[in-house]
Amino acid sequence: MYKKVSILFLFVGMALTGFADDVVFKASAPGQVIVGKPFQLTYTVNQRSRDFRAPEFTDFDVLSGPYTSTSSSTSFVNGRRTSSFEQTYTFMVMAQRAGTFTIGPATVKVDGNQVQSNGVRIQVLPEDQQPAQQQGGQASQTSSTSQSSQSSASSQTASENLFVRTIVSKTKVHEQEALMLTYKLYFANVDVAQLTNNTKLPEFTGFLKQEFDQGEIQTELEHYNGRNYRTATLYRTILYPQHSGEIKIDPARFEAVLRVQTQQRVRSIFDDFFGTYTNVTKTLTAPGVTVHVSALPGGKPAGFSGGVGKFTLTPSISQTELQANEAVTIKLDISGAGNMKLLKTPAIDWPEGFEPYDPKVTNNFNASAAGVSGTKSIEYLAIPRSAGEYTIPAVKFSYFDIDEKAYKTLSTPEYTIHVKRGANESSVAGGQQSAVVSYTQKEDIKQLGTDIRYIDTKDLGKNRQQAAISYQFIWLWYVVPFVLAVIILIVLRKQIKENADMNRVRYKRANKVAQKRLKAAAAALKANDANTFYAAIETAAWSYLSDRLSIPTADLNKENIASLLRQKGVSDTLIADVMNVLSTAEFARYAPSTDHAMDDLFAATTNLINNLEDQKI
Amino acid sequence: MRRFITFLSIVLCPLSFVLAQSTFEEANAAYADGRYADAAAQYQAMIDETPDAVLYYNLGNAQFKQGELAQAILNYERALRLRPNYPDAKYNLAFAQSRITDNIVEQDFFLSAWARAIRNNLHERTWLILSISLFLLALVGILLFLLGREPWLRKTAFHIAWIALLFSLTAGLNAGSLHKRDTLRNEAIITQGVVNAKSSPDRSGTDLFTLHEGTKVTIRETLGEWCNIRVGNNEGWIKQQNMERI
Repeated sequence: MYKKVSILFLFVGMALTGFADDVVFKASAPGQVIVGKPFQLTYTVNQRSRDFRAPEFTDFDVLSGPYTSTSSSTSFVNGRRTSSFEQTYTFMVMAQRAGTFTIGPATVKVDGNQVQSNGVRIQVLPEDQQPAQQQGGQASQTSSTSQSSQSSASSQTASENLFVRTIVSKTKVHEQEALMLTYKLYFANVDVAQLTNNTKLPEFTGFLKQEFDQGEIQTELEHYNGRNYRTATLYRTILYPQHSGEIKIDPARFEAVLRVQTQQRVRSIFDDFFGTYTNVTKTLTAPGVTVHVSALPGGKPAGFSGGVGKFTLTPSISQTELQANEAVTIKLDISGAGNMKLLKTPAIDWPEGFEPYDPKVTNNFNASAAGVSGTKSIEYLAIPRSAGEYTIPAVKFSYFDIDEKAYKTLSTPEYTIHVKRGANESSVAGGQQSAVVSYTQKEDIKQLGTDIRYIDTKDLGKNRQQAAISYQFIWLWYVVPFVLAVIILIVLRKQIKENADMNRVRYKRANKVAQKRLKAAAAALKANDANTFYAAIETAAWSYLSDRLSIPTADLNKENIASLLRQKGVSDTLIADVMNVLSTAEFARYAPSTDHAMDDLFAATTNLINNLEDQKI
Repeated sequence: MRRFITFLSIVLCPLSFVLAQSTFEEANAAYADGRYADAAAQYQAMIDETPDAVLYYNLGNAQFKQGELAQAILNYERALRLRPNYPDAKYNLAFAQSRITDNIVEQDFFLSAWARAIRNNLHERTWLILSISLFLLALVGILLFLLGREPWLRKTAFHIAWIALLFSLTAGLNAGSLHKRDTLRNEAIITQGVVNAKSSPDRSGTDLFTLHEGTKVTIRETLGEWCNIRVGNNEGWIKQQNMERI
């Protein structure tokens, strides 16, 4: 039965098909109202409801209501049907006094369920004061006195009725500290038709400008200098001062088109009906502002790169245990509010052996009156190329904290990364897999021979590690034989002496011996004993030369003597004399000659020996 | 009691040798099958008991096959310490060294390089025996020179004596130098993949140069966990954990 009814309702095609939708029950009222002026308070519910219960109105007078009205609509768009239903409860309310008040939620029943609306916060502005009082309350900087006066003389467009204010959130800021500049149109008792595009904004020299979504222009009520104005925000921007000192912002110019009631006499009823208004263009000038910018204090930390605001740093690392040639990612999330746009990307000092890539920066910024806030995500990617344990040093990020007026340094932890040998790397070093992969061409097959030699399978135990040699007694191996040798030499010193002296003795005694033999020869000469004489002469000559030249008897011959004498630098004539004496004596021994010859030989021999003595051979 | 111990040692010594021999063959079989990690572990276990040149060489081979270049170089070097004239170890060491990144050019005078090559060719013990033998020969020569009667004998003995004395001195110096090297253990192999040598024994020191695994360095000084090392003409500080002494 129920089903049938609902099918019937479907056929009727009314708004009831929105049954399953969520119930929306909303209260709405103007944000600002003026004391004593009635305004509408509306409660809207998107489904049929009953049993509406209004909240208590403590600070407001309910003039009339609630009036209930319903409306529904159905539309077909591209074959899709959308339908809506709305039930509205409306009050006429008047505020009793100035201030900000909240009207509590109302309740309504939908399908037996009680639904609550939102509360409404209403700012109640005081009533307009007398124009005379208004003059005294004018502030110098933000007043509308600089407004052009050359436009229409109409009282409706008088400067107090229409002006643009320049509002800065702060006039004393630090370098790089965000400030918000707003141009706001104020108007009362005039009808602003539109704003022309003929707008001239200042250059904002000395500032970095951060534009953001202006949104639609909405009018609000605002009590300013004793009067209630309708206001509209014409332009908003966030400014970052780029240097210290007093920075002046030039005046801005806007142009508004006003609808002014003509002063002409009403000619006919049609004139009155279609309007006796004319459009008047009016130039509005927003005054200039001076911003006092103080420099950032000294003592900037090393990692400071111009960040001003309030930030937090969230570091993360993808993995600390990995294989070579695998990528590792370090992610830094810098979030907070400040001059995010100017933040420099901190650099990671990757250890040697890492192949770093350019960091990937993702900005997610929201511009608001407090400056730009959001998150700057920086992803650093690097690939370690060899195994080992590496330490990635801490990354430091310094900024100037606006609230605490001090430099702050944020730091990531030090990461220790264990890089294991990668699968590819080991095969390259092992030389087997890579050989299979890279040496597939036939001409390269010869190259397969380059591998390490095979293990040793037989020589075990031949070259064991032995205890280190103690050098404590090694020296004995040198000293003991040396001492033994010395003892041997001492024992046999006589022999050495003899060996050493034999030649010297003979040398020294040569002359003496020769003289002794010559004496014997002289005796033989006197006795005329030729045989004895020649024998004595010969012996004297030979033995003298033998001793003097240290020639052993066995090697004694004329050639040896001659060559030795020549070696010792004896002159050729003397050598000839020596040879002559030797051959004469030899010859005469076997063939005796005259006395005269004996005399000559004796003299020659004596002379020769004396000459050789002089030569000190 | 003492007799019993002697008896035990006589009986057990061949027994342990037989055991070692079987482990050795097992390890060799593992290597032949390509189970390099197993083989390396068994060789290492045997080395821990009795270090032997062959074991070091085989361990080096197993490590090389697993791609542990630095460890392989280290163990080839150790094998050559125990058996200086080991052609296979020399060949594989040179082969492994051709794979490392650093190309160290020794700036020594060529004579000192030769001298070192000659010195490394023999064992310390051999050099010492050689030195003593040559010294004895020199003494005999001196005695012959002083006591001999025949001039040719004296002359020959004299020349033999001074030449033998010179060589004895050289051999003795070689032995001493090897002894110093083996007791100080001042040579090491870089085991870390990449390591930076610092200007001071401190992490904040300036990075002077980069070394890669497998490079042989000479340790000059040790200060805490830092070592002052020399490679070629470069000197710097490296943490001890980044290298292993030969």
